[in-house]
Amino acid sequence: MTTPEYQAPPVSTQGPSGPRASFGRRFVAALIDGILLGIVSGILTALNRNLGYAVETLLSLAYFTYLEGSASGQTLGKKAMGIRVIDFAGGGSIGHGRAFIRWIGRFVSAIACLLGYFWMLWDKEKQTWHDKFANAVVVPESAYPVERWPG
Amino acid sequence: MRQAWIASLDPRELRVAGAAMLGAGVLLPILPGHPSLVCPLRAATGVPCPLCGLSTSVEETVRLHWGDALRANPFGLLLVLVAAGLLVLRPRRLRLPMPALYAALAASWLFELHRFSII
Repeated sequence: MTTPEYQAPPVSTQGPSGPRASFGRRFVAALIDGILLGIVSGILTALNRNLGYAVETLLSLAYFTYLEGSASGQTLGKKAMGIRVIDFAGGGSIGHGRAFIRWIGRFVSAIACLLGYFWMLWDKEKQTWHDKFANAVVVPESAYPVERWPG
Repeated sequence: MRQAWIASLDPRELRVAGAAMLGAGVLLPILPGHPSLVCPLRAATGVPCPLCGLSTSVEETVRLHWGDALRANPFGLLLVLVAAGLLVLRPRRLRLPMPALYAALAASWLFELHRFSII
């Protein structure tokens, strides 16, 4: 399977410049990731009660930075929902450095009762705040196929 | 230039979000322990954010406790009306003037700051 050539966003004032993952798919993907991370950190915390929030934070950091920074740009939740994170300008992977920025950005998105997450509902490019910080967009896999997971 | 101030919204996506919001408004109060979202900003600083009180307001609106809904955040009542309107009327296209959104967020924040005696 070959990845279709990425087209740079055209100058348009009508809607996003390309296909974007829907709010529903992103919400369910986040739910799946949250449940998976919750189970794993719950088990680790049960094994060693001194770990507390540190293990949760480190696990979340490693999980999102590694998987969203990989070539596929897919966590398990995103893979299940057929969506992926890509670079807004070039269409490729955002890399681990920007995946880390995106992970930090999640806290900013969440700080005002998740306002930064809801922002995608009216944003022209359907970007959350953490997407903007990392200059990334979340797209459907059907439009931007993944060659290999995690890549 | 004018269009930069007007957001073109996806009605289908907003219907999903609206239905999820109404579902949460009905379900959360009857779940064991009544799960709710704790505002990280208020938890960390004591200062409410523009969206504080909305989950309480939505829950009270769907239970027809409109006075309590208004006291928590009047925009919750408005959100329920908009969500219901989107589900019933099913508009094919939606446009939102961004200044109206920013003004609503500012008004909601002022209300919450007053409610928590910050101003």
